[in-house]
Amino acid sequence: MASALEQFVNTVRTLSSHGNFRELCEYLSKSSEVLVKNTQHLDNVLETLDIQQHSLGILTVLCAKFSAPATTGNNAQDNRFTQTQEFILNCNGEHIRLAPDTFAELCHLLTNYLVEQKQPLKGICILEKAISKLRLFDSQLTSIHADLCQLCVVAKCFKPALKLIDIDITGICQEQSYNTNGPQFDAKYFLLYYYYGGLVYLAVRNLERALYFFEVAITTPAHAVSHIMLEAYKKYILVSLLLHGKILLLPKYASQVVNRFIKPLSQPYHDLATAFTSNSSAELNAVLTRHTEVFTRDHNLGLVKQVSSVLYKKNIQRLTKTFLTLSLSDVASRVGLSSPSEAESHILQMIETRQIFATINQKDGMVIFRDEPEKFSGPEVLKGLEEQLQLCMDLDKQILSMDEEIQVNPQYVKKSTGFQEEEQPNKSTYAM
Amino acid sequence: MPLFVASTMAQNAVEPMQVDAPPEDNDNNEEENYVVENPSLDLEVYANSYTGLAKLYRLIYIIDHCPSLRLEALKMAISYVMTTYNVNLYQVLHQKLAEVTTALNVPDVAAPSTSQDIPAIDNMWMETRSKKAALKLEKLDNDLKNYKSNSIKESIRRGHDDLGDHYLDCGDLSNALKCYSRARDYCTSGKHVVNMCLNVIKVSVYLQNWSHVLSYVSKAESTPDFCETQTKDSNQVIMTRLKCAAGLAELATKKYKSAAKHFLQANLDHCDFPELLSPNNVAMYGGLCALATFDRHELQKNVIFSSSFKLFLELEPQLRDIIFKFYESKYAQCLKLLDEIKDNLLLDMYIAPHISTLYMQIRNRALIQYFSPYLSADMHKMAEAFNRTVPALEDELMQLILEGQIQARIDSHNKILFAKDVDQRSTTFEKSLLIGKEYQRRTRMLILRAAVLKNKIHVKSPQRETGQAGDITIAPGTSTVLTARN
Repeated sequence: MASALEQFVNTVRTLSSHGNFRELCEYLSKSSEVLVKNTQHLDNVLETLDIQQHSLGILTVLCAKFSAPATTGNNAQDNRFTQTQEFILNCNGEHIRLAPDTFAELCHLLTNYLVEQKQPLKGICILEKAISKLRLFDSQLTSIHADLCQLCVVAKCFKPALKLIDIDITGICQEQSYNTNGPQFDAKYFLLYYYYGGLVYLAVRNLERALYFFEVAITTPAHAVSHIMLEAYKKYILVSLLLHGKILLLPKYASQVVNRFIKPLSQPYHDLATAFTSNSSAELNAVLTRHTEVFTRDHNLGLVKQVSSVLYKKNIQRLTKTFLTLSLSDVASRVGLSSPSEAESHILQMIETRQIFATINQKDGMVIFRDEPEKFSGPEVLKGLEEQLQLCMDLDKQILSMDEEIQVNPQYVKKSTGFQEEEQPNKSTYAM
Repeated sequence: MPLFVASTMAQNAVEPMQVDAPPEDNDNNEEENYVVENPSLDLEVYANSYTGLAKLYRLIYIIDHCPSLRLEALKMAISYVMTTYNVNLYQVLHQKLAEVTTALNVPDVAAPSTSQDIPAIDNMWMETRSKKAALKLEKLDNDLKNYKSNSIKESIRRGHDDLGDHYLDCGDLSNALKCYSRARDYCTSGKHVVNMCLNVIKVSVYLQNWSHVLSYVSKAESTPDFCETQTKDSNQVIMTRLKCAAGLAELATKKYKSAAKHFLQANLDHCDFPELLSPNNVAMYGGLCALATFDRHELQKNVIFSSSFKLFLELEPQLRDIIFKFYESKYAQCLKLLDEIKDNLLLDMYIAPHISTLYMQIRNRALIQYFSPYLSADMHKMAEAFNRTVPALEDELMQLILEGQIQARIDSHNKILFAKDVDQRSTTFEKSLLIGKEYQRRTRMLILRAAVLKNKIHVKSPQRETGQAGDITIAPGTSTVLTARN
């Protein structure tokens, strides 16, 4: 048995020194079975390989170590983590990019291991490093992104994830080694990235971005119902209510699956939305108590409670649009609050957070609503405007360059001219 | 046979349910069931302005919705139906009659007429009538076959038309429609095409197939011969008829503004088609729709100063008063008059389902117009002008403000309505920033989506090896794979 491993080490060494990486990848993908069978000797194998020169060999060995059936004894587990850490920090990036699928797989395994061990914080830095090694440019998505977001959510440590998710993705890493024709990038990790990313934004109260992330998750092309999409859709409804007071329409390119299967599966949330748009807090509370069980089971109760408290604010904001003055008791009765004092505290809160502009006259219990004092003048406004313009123009340029890229793509040119030739005889027969 | 199908568009039934709803209405239970108590309608005059199925359908609508006129209407309908071959409808009417007469025996219902002159069901008549109908059908059918074997186009077309007329007389609408549309292949001149269209429109109106009506109206209007000789008298008749049919279809599909525009193009001198609408109907439908949807300027130009529609308004003096009062800003009187004619309108089968919406729109329009010249308005005075209490008015105004129909705010303390001065500059800033944000968001999504599609990312149903975990998701998943790839 040991001889098989010796042979493995020798092959890795010779192929690496000759720079014959393509062959090496092929060999490694076949040898993982041998490695899994000889788990107890893998540490010895690792010692004989050099991190910089034989990165691919070590990568395969480490993967084998994780996928082996659970070993007994604490020391084995401990060195799994430290070995991986050392590898990811020091490995050769160029070599790694030759086998991105295995590398990503190692990161997934590490993530699962850390989540099981309840030590998610430990992996965040390592994965950051791993991502920077794997991707070619900053706005490229790798499946490790999803892992990092997951660890951040579990560890409740959001800063590292924010650094990552604030960058808009423009390209996707082709995680495919030379010889396999398998899936290029698993949709699961794409969905997970946007789902966890949405959760991170929710945690830091950036609702707009959260909504964007959930929308991306929902509009991913789909032929089947994914649980990730379903959960993202539920959260999408709630965030949409929090932010806009209604469910925003999904774009037309959203998959049929959403309408046909996901919508019926999230009926309680639709009930909530209809109650919310009716502006009646009594109705909303009725829906809330009726479906509490579902909301708790989906771990969305916190958001749902936020939705119900936002309704009061929304109703008060509606009043500011229609009234100049209104007594506190009228406010309470129109909004559905139990007492004028409660209304007063709500209004006070909203004035403090600059959601409405009003003054309360305590002598005769009247609220005087005012217009927004924002006058849009001064250099700051112009600066902001310019920044926004710059952003829009940059995006426009990007689109134009993408368009150009397509225009000069030989395949596209061939296809678009080919069609015309075929169509012409067709047209003439039709005319006849 | 589709018996008396009132518009299914009706919603929010506010009136109590009618207990003895006719059994044949079961298929459209969305229909508004209400009872009109005190109509001031002269049934005799009303019925005489229609012929054919229009008369029968209108009478049946009254039978179903107005207990006080029920008996009289039934008698009229039965005597009229005996002049046709419509044996089915005869039976149905007698069924209704039986229901009414048994109800009359209940003491607390005041019987307006003595029970002697209630017609009894005549089985003999039914039998001979059905026999005659069958005979006539056979004869017409034979004629048509003869024409076909001789292949004279004109005769075949007439044969189809005659057959269609006969089916219509028997109340068999779907067959009538078939015959009329078959005549289309044998039309040789534009006049024939228009004639065919008119026949189809007539039957489609009876069937309440409004999209059909509209498409045949446009077909008739685009027939070349007809367009060229528009000035001729006979064409005026056809034109008016088409406009009215189109208006009716638009009304039924709740497009009130275009309905009004169509009705306003009708011409009184050529408005003679009792099997469809009476001139009074045209005035009423057109007037109400215009009032509900036109702004002040349009109302003045197209209704009040319209020489042709003025003549229509003379037929309905009440409506004329309403429109003038509205124009003169005497809203309290206008709304009062509107309430007076409401009962009668509720007995009209085509406009009844839309009454509440139209009235609501007229009222809102009045409120908006009342406030438009003011910077501030006393709500006590406003409430007086609209026959409302101040709190009710406040609610109404609040709704209009939230919908953006009135640019104003309410001073609830002093009960004054203030016009809102909109700062154009800051709203423009706000709007442009918002649009910029939206553009960025959408473009980002576009770029990302391009990347997603380029990399062929899509959610597929999992392969067999992960069978147990997500059983529920796999089942629908596989089925969508099949349908989505077609």
